[in-house]
Amino acid sequence: MLGLNAYMAKKREISMLNKTQFKESLFDAVTFTYTLAVTFFAGWLLASSLGVDLSAYDQDFFVANVPKISLFLVGIMGALLWLNPLLYKVGLRTIGLVLFGPQTPTAQKSFLKTFHGLHLLVIFLLTFYVSISVTEASLDDLLDPDGLSGAARLWLGLADPNWSILPKAIVKALETIFIAFLATTLAIPVAFFLAFFASKNLMRTGLALSIYTTLRIALNLSRSVEPLVWALIFTVWVGVGPFAGMLALFLHSVASLIKYYSEVIEGISEGPLEAIRSTGANNVQVVWFGVVPQIVLPYIAMTLYRWDTNVRMATVIGLVGGGGIGTLLITYQGQAMWHEVGCIILVIAAIVWLMDAASALIREALK
Amino acid sequence: MSRPLLSVKNLGKVYPNGVSALKGVTFDVMEGEFLVVIGLSGSGKSTLLRCLNRLHDPSYGTIEFRGERIDQMKDVLSLRRRIGMIFQNFNLIPRHSVINNVLMGQLGRMNIWRSLFQNFTDDEKAQALQYLELVGIANKANIRADQLSGGQQQRVAIARALCQKPELLLADEPVASLDPATAHTVMDHLRKANHDLGITVICNLHFLSLVREYATRVIALKAGEIVFQGLPQDIDNAWFKRIYGEEARDIDVE
Repeated sequence: MLGLNAYMAKKREISMLNKTQFKESLFDAVTFTYTLAVTFFAGWLLASSLGVDLSAYDQDFFVANVPKISLFLVGIMGALLWLNPLLYKVGLRTIGLVLFGPQTPTAQKSFLKTFHGLHLLVIFLLTFYVSISVTEASLDDLLDPDGLSGAARLWLGLADPNWSILPKAIVKALETIFIAFLATTLAIPVAFFLAFFASKNLMRTGLALSIYTTLRIALNLSRSVEPLVWALIFTVWVGVGPFAGMLALFLHSVASLIKYYSEVIEGISEGPLEAIRSTGANNVQVVWFGVVPQIVLPYIAMTLYRWDTNVRMATVIGLVGGGGIGTLLITYQGQAMWHEVGCIILVIAAIVWLMDAASALIREALK
Repeated sequence: MSRPLLSVKNLGKVYPNGVSALKGVTFDVMEGEFLVVIGLSGSGKSTLLRCLNRLHDPSYGTIEFRGERIDQMKDVLSLRRRIGMIFQNFNLIPRHSVINNVLMGQLGRMNIWRSLFQNFTDDEKAQALQYLELVGIANKANIRADQLSGGQQQRVAIARALCQKPELLLADEPVASLDPATAHTVMDHLRKANHDLGITVICNLHFLSLVREYATRVIALKAGEIVFQGLPQDIDNAWFKRIYGEEARDIDVE
C-alpha cells in the first residue's frame, strides 16, 4: 500500500497543475474561503449576541464595502489554491481530493475522524447557526399568544367554508383551467418546431451545432426565470388580468416543452430513419415517417402533464394579478374573509387533485 | 460474359473520426447473383453496403451501377429508389400497421403531399398485399408491426424492400438477431426474391453454413480489404482461419 501511495505522490508532483488537480485545488480554495467567511460571520453574530458593540460594523458597513470584501475574498481564494497540494503532502485528504481526486485505497476510518469529514461537519454547523440568525427564527414568535389566537381564527374560518361563493369560485377556477389550456395549446406548435433544433442527435456539426447551443442557452435562461416573475413583467406590459397570466405561462411552457420534446427526440432509435431513407424518401418524409411515429405518444403524455402543471401554476400566478381563482383568493385574503378563503382553497385542492389524477390515468393508458 | 450490374473499383471510406473502414475494395456483381459478404464485426461489411446505396458517401474509388457512375451522383434519392435494403434490426415503424410499413417502400415514387397524408391508391395497396403474400404473412396485414415476432418483422422488411421494385437488394446481416430456424425461413424468402423475381442480392452474413447454402459467390472482408473472392465451397478451414483469425471455430446453423 505504502509503495502505491508513494508512487501516486510522485506522479502528482511531476504534473502539479494538470486538469483534475486544478479542479481539486480550485474546489478546495472555494470551500476553505467559504469556511473562513462563514466562521467570521458566525463569530460576528455570536459576539453581538453576547453584547459586544459592533454597531460600527453593521449590515450597511458590509454593503458599502462589497467591492473591497469581494476582492479580499478572491485574493484569499487565490492564495488558498496552494493549500490542496500542501495538505496532500502532509497526508490530509481534502474534500476536493475525495470528490475529484484519484481513487486511492484508504484504511476504513469513521467519517468524522477523517479530515474532509470534520471539515464538512464544521461547514454544516456554522452555516446552520448563521441561517437561524438570518431567518430571524424565534420560538417566542411561534408561541406568542396573540399570534396563536389569530392563527386559530384563521383555521376556524378555513374549517368552516362559506359555500355561498362556491359558484363564483367554480367560474373563476374554470377561468384558471382555460388560461392554462390556452398557454399550453399556444406553446405546443412553437415547442414542436423548435424542439428539432434543440435535439443534439439532429444538430451535430457546424452551423447546426451553434444553433443548438444558442437555443439551449436561451431556453435555460428563460426557464430559470420563474413564471411568477414573467407574470409581473407581463402585468406591466399588457395590464393586470388573465391575459398577462396566460402569456407568462405560455413562455414558461414553451421552454419546458422544448426540453421535454427534445429529450424524446434524442432518445429515438436511428434504425427506422435509416430504413425510410434507404427507400429513396426525402428528408421531410424521413422525419414524418421515421421520427414522428416514435415521438407522438410521449409528446401527448408530456403535454398533458404540462397542462396539469400549468393549472397549478396559473393559480399561483393569479396571486400577482394573473387572473383566475388565484386573484379571487388574494382578494378575499386581503380583506381577511377567512370563510371565503376556505371555500376557495378547497376548490383549488379539488381541481388540482382531479387534473393530476386524470392526467396520470391518461398518461398510464398511453404507455 | 455480359456487363456487370455493379462494378466497384478501389472503393474506400474514411470516417470523420479518422477510422478507415474500407481500404480500396474492388469487385463486380453480375445480374441475378446472390453475393454474400462475410467477415468479422468491424471488417467494413456494413460500410460497404451503405456506400452502395449512398447512405454513406465513399471517400474514394468508383461505383458503377448499370454502367452509370453513382459514387459522386447528386440525385441519391432516385438511386436509393432502385436499391432496396433490409437491416439486422428490421427497422420497421413500430406503431404502424404491417401493410403501412410495406407501403413505405413506395415513398420515393410518390408525390410528397400524397405521401404525407398516406393517401395510397388501391393499386398500391393491392401490390403491397401481393408482396406480403410472397413472404407469407398477408394475414397479418392489419396488425401493428411491433406485435410480430422477429422473423415475421424481417419478412415485412423484405416485403417493404420488394415494394420498391428494386434492381438490387442489400441485406445487412438480416438474420443476425434471429434464431436458427427463423433465420432459414428469412433466408429462403431472400432466395425466393433472387430466384423468382430475378433481383440481385448482396447479403452480409456471419454463419458459414448459411453462406454455403445460399450464396452463389462469396467475398470476405478483413480490416476493410478483400481477402477472399470465390465460390462458397472453396472456403476451406484454412481460408476460414485467415478470415476470422486463428482462434475462430465454425458454428453450424442447422
